[in-house]
Amino acid sequence: MKSNLLFLLTVAGAVLGLTVQSGDWPQWGRDASKNFYSPEKGLPSEFHPGDFIQGTEDIDLSTTKNVKWVVKLGSQAYGNASVSQGRVYVGTNNESPRIQRHLGDRGIVYCLDEQTGEFQWQLTVPKLGAGKVSDWEYLGICSSPTVEGDRVYVISNRCEVLCLDTQGMANGNDGPFVDEAQYLAGPGHPAMPVEQDDADIIWVFDMREELGVFPHNIASSSVVVVGDTVFATTSNGQDWGHLNIPSPNAPCLVALDKNTGALLGEEVSGISLNLMHCNWSSPGYGQINDQSMVFFGGGDGIVYAFDPKPVPGADGLNELKEIWKYDAVPLKYKEKDGKPIKYPAADGPSEIIGTPVFYRDRVYVAIGQDPEHGEGVGMLSCIDASGKGDISVSGAVWTYDKINRTISTVSIDPETGLLFVCDYSGFLYCLDAETGKEYWIYDMKAHMWSSTMVADGKVFLGDEDGDFVILKADRELEVLSEVNFGAPIYSSPVAANGVLFVGTQTHLYAIAE
Amino acid sequence: MKPEPKNDKRKAEIDGRSVFLLSRNGRFGILVPARGHAFPSIVTHCLNVLTMRLKFALFFFVSGIFAGSVCAEPVSGWLHWRGPDQNGASAETGLPDEIELGGKNHLWSFEMAGRGEAVIAEDRVYAFGYAGEGPDLREYLTCLEADTGKVVWQLGFNDYLSDIVYERYAIGAPTVDSESGNIYLMTTPGEMVCVSPAGKILWRHSMMERFGLLTFPNGRRGAAVIEGELVIHHAITSYWGAQGPARDRFFAFDKLTGELIWSSTPGTPPKDSSFSSPVIATTGGKRVLYSGTGCGNLVAINALTGDPLWRYHFSYGGVNASVLLHGGDKLIAIHGKENLDSSEVGRMAAIRIGAEPATYADGQLVLDKSAELWRQPLVMFTSSPILVGDRVYQVSHTGELESLDAESGQILWHHKLENGQLHASPLYADGKLYVPMGNGNFYILKLRDDGVDQLDKEAMGAGLLGAPTVWNGRIYLHSQKALHCFGRIGDSPQGEPWSRHMTVNSRRARSDEAVRLQVVPADVLLNPGDRADFQVRSLDENGRVVRTGVRASLAKYIPPTAKVKTEIDASFRRRTIRAAADAKTSAGAIRASRGELSGITRGRVLFDSRFREDFEGFQITEQYPPEHVHANVEFAYPPLPWIGARFKWDIRELDGNKVLAKTLDRVLFQRATTFFGDPDMSDYTMVADFMTDGNRRMKSNVGLIHQRYVIELVGNWQRLEVSSNHDRIKVSVPFRWNVGAWYRLKTRVDVNDDGSGVVRAKAWPRDEAEPEAWTIEVPHKIAHDRGAPGLRGFSPQSRYSVYVDNISVYPNSN
Repeated sequence: MKSNLLFLLTVAGAVLGLTVQSGDWPQWGRDASKNFYSPEKGLPSEFHPGDFIQGTEDIDLSTTKNVKWVVKLGSQAYGNASVSQGRVYVGTNNESPRIQRHLGDRGIVYCLDEQTGEFQWQLTVPKLGAGKVSDWEYLGICSSPTVEGDRVYVISNRCEVLCLDTQGMANGNDGPFVDEAQYLAGPGHPAMPVEQDDADIIWVFDMREELGVFPHNIASSSVVVVGDTVFATTSNGQDWGHLNIPSPNAPCLVALDKNTGALLGEEVSGISLNLMHCNWSSPGYGQINDQSMVFFGGGDGIVYAFDPKPVPGADGLNELKEIWKYDAVPLKYKEKDGKPIKYPAADGPSEIIGTPVFYRDRVYVAIGQDPEHGEGVGMLSCIDASGKGDISVSGAVWTYDKINRTISTVSIDPETGLLFVCDYSGFLYCLDAETGKEYWIYDMKAHMWSSTMVADGKVFLGDEDGDFVILKADRELEVLSEVNFGAPIYSSPVAANGVLFVGTQTHLYAIAE
Repeated sequence: MKPEPKNDKRKAEIDGRSVFLLSRNGRFGILVPARGHAFPSIVTHCLNVLTMRLKFALFFFVSGIFAGSVCAEPVSGWLHWRGPDQNGASAETGLPDEIELGGKNHLWSFEMAGRGEAVIAEDRVYAFGYAGEGPDLREYLTCLEADTGKVVWQLGFNDYLSDIVYERYAIGAPTVDSESGNIYLMTTPGEMVCVSPAGKILWRHSMMERFGLLTFPNGRRGAAVIEGELVIHHAITSYWGAQGPARDRFFAFDKLTGELIWSSTPGTPPKDSSFSSPVIATTGGKRVLYSGTGCGNLVAINALTGDPLWRYHFSYGGVNASVLLHGGDKLIAIHGKENLDSSEVGRMAAIRIGAEPATYADGQLVLDKSAELWRQPLVMFTSSPILVGDRVYQVSHTGELESLDAESGQILWHHKLENGQLHASPLYADGKLYVPMGNGNFYILKLRDDGVDQLDKEAMGAGLLGAPTVWNGRIYLHSQKALHCFGRIGDSPQGEPWSRHMTVNSRRARSDEAVRLQVVPADVLLNPGDRADFQVRSLDENGRVVRTGVRASLAKYIPPTAKVKTEIDASFRRRTIRAAADAKTSAGAIRASRGELSGITRGRVLFDSRFREDFEGFQITEQYPPEHVHANVEFAYPPLPWIGARFKWDIRELDGNKVLAKTLDRVLFQRATTFFGDPDMSDYTMVADFMTDGNRRMKSNVGLIHQRYVIELVGNWQRLEVSSNHDRIKVSVPFRWNVGAWYRLKTRVDVNDDGSGVVRAKAWPRDEAEPEAWTIEVPHKIAHDRGAPGLRGFSPQSRYSVYVDNISVYPNSN
């Protein structure tokens, strides 16, 4: 008991430390609750992203309005840019190589100066060479970096959890991991020179090697740091035939020592046995009274909450104990006329790819599928997070089935109590977070991969057509502005220190009035 | 366990209701009666062009007379999904401005899911679709009456050994030969078939087991094209020797016999599969095939010889959309993946054609960026552009209908239809664009110079992934639920005969200057005791036939570029190859020579009724380098004629015993599907020993491929499993075993007269006595009735190896 109390106190302190006070946006969803909300004020209501200089991929800044800087990314970028302590970290691929010794398809994280966009250093990750099944070509690094203190945590395209030094190699090659030369080259290749503009890897936890994970398409989730523990979901999934789970014994959630990368514990709920496709949802963290919990959306369509403190398990491994689970897939999507509806039918069940959001003792999450599977029925659930055991029936505060499949994460505005969420079909929904009452629906007329972000009384959202819309965060629908970036937007916008950051597939924009 | 005859197809596979006769371009063909055409005129025509080869055909022709069949003018209709001009445009008029399910011009619907296009020949519709559930789901080639939608005949095809998921079947279309009326189709797992108009299979190849075709979860298969006597298709294959590395390869078969005329490897290592439909035109005196490929290249191939002419690396991903030819000087193509020279995703571009030098230093020209006439940043992976005069129309990835000037590439206008598009291509006819969308909406749009007027938008109730087809005043639309026909009853005078667009006599040389020989078939598979006849013809510089029946001499040949110096265990007499009764498993090239002319073919010898392999006879002469994952391990390569074996398995010593081991150096090769027998084998039993490495978290899978079933020990699930495609058949029983210990697996497949069958398997520790009972017995209502024996190994993430030893195959009647 003492041990538990001590752990909770430690966690509470650590989470307070994680609380973003400086206006930064240091991780996927800004803080451990994963709510895409920022208390920032003074964000622009309108801007213009500018025109390309003809024949180039550069933006003519003189044609922009309210754009502070623009930085070229690769050809694809997902997740969100993370902003912390004067630096911006963004994942992409290597199709606009900045370092000539690193050419070809690679996973990349850029570290940029927050004020100018100036390049600082980059993480370069070789591909697995597995083809599309485990490290899809050109997807780059989809995971959003999580920054805490002088460390950056990110999941690589090789299905590794990496801990990096925020200063890169500028302050030397810190360990315990010091073999960046071989890491950059990839296994079986001659080691490469390591320069000042390379990332300094502090430790590497290879989830394929250590856990037997079989990543599907690409490892893409983002980690959450709680106290001294990094929680990561593994992207364990189907083989490329999609009807065979090669690693049913690999965990979907693990806890690692944030200082060493050592494995502290893993879920043993058997989630991998029932994966519909993959386990891509990122973990979040919340606390109700004395009960802290790490939650995530399972690849089996179930939301899980685990006690963050590992305990010794039956077979010598440390386990994460399940607090509750909630089946987010209603029965009507599982069977029809007594017959099961087969995945990935449009009217059938879906897994969870978006991140559950913890807000005022509740968890909000919607189901969805890989966009490659097309559009289909969805379900948004508001779950009472104070329960225990299987709360699939008792835990639903309200549900909303007008939403279609989505891979997006909700935004809840604490100033208005409004919840905003979009779906892959192109609709943006405004609901009452408390009751689930629908206020309005806005049709973007394009597929959406990104999530909404609410801040400063506004909702920000981009779509696959490259359209970016700013709406009033209000019960009445009001579009404040709409612009087109000329490139698809799959990343989610963030706000940090008075600046709006919007990532397209090819560029990152810092926008401020 | 008797393979079907492979080398005498002409005799063995005559459709009784068709007739062999001489075609107008000096070859024999199977022509099928059509209404109202007289026979004697064709006879006269045919007799004018007799050759030595044709005398042989005359025999069958006369036989045909006695069979009471007649031949006819070329078949008309919408014979290929891209239409007569290979560009998705029709010259027909009088087509519907609007359609409505259950409405007045809704003529009929046929309940069969499809994801491609129906084609029409005269008064028949040929549709490729799928029906059924679970193990009973099959793909069907269905012939329907165009007037009524009534089924005339239907052929079913099983899925087998494929990686197809989520019922991504029938993403392609049949192709009808205008000369014979025969229908050509490649099923999703790669069975290439030629079917008579009466519904009889004339020839078939399991491309997977015969030529190493690989399947992909997306299921995109596309359509064959006809060029004179050839039917041409392409797919990613990994075969043997120089064709061992996976590539997008083109295969040209004699459309009547199924003999391989040529195969071609024009590209680079693939990133995707591609169902880009080739387009063929005469360029610079050659018949040239143009296509997108799974390796991201646009390629040009001599359509008569398979010689790669040029390639242009257009995308880092695959090019799935079909290409357009415009103005005789440009090829227009689109892709949706990474570009080589920018960080944009996707591009439409026009490539200059016809200006290439006549000869190239290294055989194949690699075009560079200077070949691009124009480019636009449009994105589409699988939907093809269409061409109407000088206008290109394209539906983009984000559901925008784009109009471009073909000459300049200028985007003239765009019109947002939906929030996205998948495979479906639009079709132009009668001043209108017919545009199916992946979400099931179907648009009819009246074309203006500066945009479109929407005439109709109809929700079809299921996804639309194929293009519409039109013929005789009707429009055909295949949804994921049904094939629909809209239009009017009765003949439409606006339809143009397909013959207007036919290639006439494309195969005959206009000069006597021969520069090379072509040996047919271009690939032969023999069992011990088999023989096969080759035909040799001389070709001119463009690949046209100068002479047939060339009396060339044949000899074994080791190409100077061959990495493995090996010969086929066979002998030659004139143009006949023979494998002795005790011939060994072997493979090699064969050269035909006549004077200064020569040509190459290839062959393999496998086995017929019995096979044993304990690997002890292999000489271990290779060693992995120190930096290799198998550092310093000594090994031998697996037998060359085995399909899919090299670089996935090696032979090495393990505890003083030689075994076959799964290699772990490339995650890309974590799965090994290896065939070592004849695709037409049946009624046999297999036995082999297996062992796996692994630990508590991760083990590997290993097992046998037996008549298109996989019987596998599944490591991480500790099960013995019978499967074929996992979505069709997947039955398992618990079976616990330990890593590092040998087990024996015995399998048997029995097929009953009614087509049903049972797959049986038993597994036990090798050192123990064989158990009496089968460990698993799996009935299959429509069983696979043939299939090559093989091996399956799967080392997830290439972490832990599996080992095989003491393979034996013998007849069930043993």
